[in-house]
Amino acid sequence: MAIIETSGLSRRFKDVIAVDDLTMAVESGEVLGFLGPNGAGKTTTIRMLAGIIRPTGGEAVVAGHRIDRDVEKLHEVIGMLTETPGLYGRLSARRNLEYFAGFYPIDDVSTRVEKYLKLMGLWERRDDRAGTFSKGMKQRLALARALMHEPKVLFLDEPTSGLDPEAASEVRQLIRRMQEEGCTVFLSTHNLAEAEMLCNRIAVIQTRLLALDTAESLRRRFFRRKVIVELQSPDPNILAVVKGLPFVQEARKEGSRLSVELMDSERNRPELVRAIVEAGGKVVTVSEEQYTLEQVYLRLMNEEKISDAQAHS
Amino acid sequence: MTLRRIRNILRKEWGLLFTDPNSALLVTLLPFAVVGQFILYFWLAFRFGSEGMLGSSIFQTALEKLLQTIPEAAALPASEQLLVLLLNQFQFILLLIPVMIGIGIAAFSIVDEKLTGSLEALLATPVRTWELLLGKTLTGAIPAVLMTWISAGFFLLVISLLGWGNLSGLVLTPSWFLSLFLLTPAVAILSFMLGVIGSSRAKDSKGAQNIALIVVFPILALIGIQVTGIIWFTTLRTLVLALVIIAVDIIALRAAVHLFRRESIAIQWR
Repeated sequence: MAIIETSGLSRRFKDVIAVDDLTMAVESGEVLGFLGPNGAGKTTTIRMLAGIIRPTGGEAVVAGHRIDRDVEKLHEVIGMLTETPGLYGRLSARRNLEYFAGFYPIDDVSTRVEKYLKLMGLWERRDDRAGTFSKGMKQRLALARALMHEPKVLFLDEPTSGLDPEAASEVRQLIRRMQEEGCTVFLSTHNLAEAEMLCNRIAVIQTRLLALDTAESLRRRFFRRKVIVELQSPDPNILAVVKGLPFVQEARKEGSRLSVELMDSERNRPELVRAIVEAGGKVVTVSEEQYTLEQVYLRLMNEEKISDAQAHS
Repeated sequence: MTLRRIRNILRKEWGLLFTDPNSALLVTLLPFAVVGQFILYFWLAFRFGSEGMLGSSIFQTALEKLLQTIPEAAALPASEQLLVLLLNQFQFILLLIPVMIGIGIAAFSIVDEKLTGSLEALLATPVRTWELLLGKTLTGAIPAVLMTWISAGFFLLVISLLGWGNLSGLVLTPSWFLSLFLLTPAVAILSFMLGVIGSSRAKDSKGAQNIALIVVFPILALIGIQVTGIIWFTTLRTLVLALVIIAVDIIALRAAVHLFRRESIAIQWR
């Protein structure tokens, strides 16, 4: 069941279109990676979905609430982590959380604050001023603030930006835990490896939505699967044999490696290996070429640039 | 829920206010500085300038108005009548205290949150704009009013130490009490509300302070109007003035809610 649904969602700032005709659905319990270059409209989309700014076109429903009409109710069921932690440095970690908890219908604020400070590993530092915390601790405290009212949807705007690897890893573990607890996470990030690691699906935006699918499907959409056969020694005859096989779409030799595109990677792979062995090739390893999400993303962006250039010419 | 949220804002803001030495000093010391300074001026005027002032037609007109309002003062020597006239200005001088504290505190209230990035997180909570603005206003207005009342006590203490205790009965008029207990809270709320409006509209605290400064001028005008005898603030006039300011407070809150643009704050301040 979709917990976030947008239809033609758009936002214009004077003459600049920040988000254009965004139509998408996010399933309940899903972690959606929201990728795009700077200025692509990621933060604007999050702000619209969080009811902070109003769309200039289209509509969206988040957890059953229209983002332009039912803002107070919407704010009760969403949590948001902004780009900067935005904590009160002179207040203790506990007071920071108590303050924000005071705006939600929470019966026992102290117990709730204790639960989330413990969850974020900050209980021992509960009475220390937030201003004395490291970046990672501040980010965890800000995450506790976003989660404390146990929202149905959590919007995270670059949650690991500027964190050291250890702190970033801690935040990622927390996001995983949120997902395990059934929270829907809308994650805007520049970190493609992070998106691949955490997200069920990936949305790529460049003002308008360019792609929305699982990382694996995106890879298949942009790159054919290639089988890499590592031979003990290079043999030019084997390439000719491989190229002659009916199920081979393309084959190349790269030193002692053959890079082969098959019609059906799973079914044709044993036949390919047999043909190579029968032709006298000594196979060392057989593997599949791995494409990263970064390669997919760059391909998408490149295609978008070309299509933009064509539209303007 | 609304009361709970406003209490929540007050608790947090006071936590921040009194852990900031500059703000704490402003709230606690400024009122005494204002009272002390004006008493010094009046003492100097009484001691060294009363003859010249009594010869001035402006003060003669003001004294006539004073005697119409407080006929008991007619029994006093001319120099003491002048002193009663000056001391009566304290009902408006005390109004400067909440205004000055307002400029110092309210002007930073939203700007600071914009700059630290906490405002965007706050705007993603269910808090309503008017709850936020009223909470921020009361944060400064409540201590400012309390300090004004303490300052009034300090004023009475100092005038009795200066040997003017016999004149206090001519200063503590019904108009004085109306001013202290009705006009002061109304002016405090207005000045803090303007500070908050300034803070939510301005790009930095200086801009916010400039907007809040607007309130100082009408108060200086009130002192000027009375001390020059143009209008003497009788009990009725003070009551009407207080009611007008209360009405302006309500309008200011509505204006503040209207002028507080969540969108532009979220977009322009990162």
